[in-house]
Amino acid sequence: MSGKLQIDVLTLDSVQCAACGYMMESIAALPMEIQEIIEYKEWSIKNKEGIGKFIEMKGRVLPTIAIQGELLFESIIPQYEELIDAMADRAPTPELATRIRMLRDKGFDFDNLEANLARAESGMHTRREE
Amino acid sequence: MGKQDVIDAVKGLATQKVPWVPYSGVHSAFLIGEPADKFLKDPDLIAKGVIFAAERYKADGIPLLFDLTVEAISMGCDHKWWPDNPPSITGHPLDKKTLAESGLKVPGPKDGRWPIIIEAGKKVKAALPDVALYGILCGPLTLASHLRGVRIFTDVYKNKVLAKEIIDFCGEVAAEAARIYAEEIGCDVIAITDPVASQIKPETFLEFVTPATQPAVRAVKKAGKVSSFFICGDATKVLHEVATVGTDGFAIDEQLNLTYVRDVALMHGVGFGGNLKLTLALSLGLLSPREDAIVSLAAGGSTGFVFAPG
Repeated sequence: MSGKLQIDVLTLDSVQCAACGYMMESIAALPMEIQEIIEYKEWSIKNKEGIGKFIEMKGRVLPTIAIQGELLFESIIPQYEELIDAMADRAPTPELATRIRMLRDKGFDFDNLEANLARAESGMHTRREE
Repeated sequence: MGKQDVIDAVKGLATQKVPWVPYSGVHSAFLIGEPADKFLKDPDLIAKGVIFAAERYKADGIPLLFDLTVEAISMGCDHKWWPDNPPSITGHPLDKKTLAESGLKVPGPKDGRWPIIIEAGKKVKAALPDVALYGILCGPLTLASHLRGVRIFTDVYKNKVLAKEIIDFCGEVAAEAARIYAEEIGCDVIAITDPVASQIKPETFLEFVTPATQPAVRAVKKAGKVSSFFICGDATKVLHEVATVGTDGFAIDEQLNLTYVRDVALMHGVGFGGNLKLTLALSLGLLSPREDAIVSLAAGGSTGFVFAPG
């Protein structure tokens, strides 16, 4: 375990599907202080790895955001504060929870969006032949 | 081909034969061996691909394009082209600016990507007189997401005045897109396509999406064409709101139960479309497309039903 908060986004394809894209963006646009304490990845069901993850997590609908393995935002794009609260509630330590809650008023930050999406491999594993 | 069946079904009427509308999108580019990015920038290639797809799949109706970035790119949104997908939006002009500060204007037929689309549409229309041509436009909430980013989903709860201003503006953009498809190209069915509208609560849909959809609905009616509301994802929680949004019909994706969708549509007297499993059957082959089609056709019946990918 890295000690970071694990976020998994189950998608059809964040490039092709607008709802999936904005689910991914809701994580990628979290402020830098949050980016430093989370690990997140897109799991597209257009490839075997993504199908395996969907089954493993007992996914029900697409898109879905799971935090620390818990399916939380199923076909509902979260508000910023909802995301912060959901992460804080599942933080592995009280210190991390406090650190996250302190950012509740900060709001989304789009300045590093593309780099953050690339880090999460968004849109990179959505081809059937992979 | 069953062009009139498509029009009747979208309006919720009984049809002799269930019409079939493959949403070919950039698959039309694949069919003619061209990358999506090149295809979408060339009216001759669009026409060639769409005509080929309509004939290849014996379509009763077919979309000219299935690309929800046309309006946003025509307004100057940053974007990325892909060889095997429609473009994606990478920058949001209303991230830090207000609508007034941004200088954004409703794009008309001479702006952005529209001239290419209009030229392609006229070619397709002339070549396929017996096929219902769909004009697929970006719905107001999805367009607002392109302009404002994911922040719009917080704004609809925390910053309602700003959200309404942006989404209503997007409704005006949608109305002009509807007019272009209906009047300038002559599309038979105008689909107001708002995939992210499934990702909000029903009361939020009624507060923002329903009113912003009305200008496009009026534009379609004024042109004497029929309208549909396309939604993606698990739209179960907003399905009654979708069915009563004011369009003649609606269409859903593979995650919904078609018998439930059918009953909601029949209850409200509107048409409905779906539900061939695009991912599980057509893309991944985990289900037999043939058997999946039979299940959809059995569930859909022949009143107001357009058989299409979900």
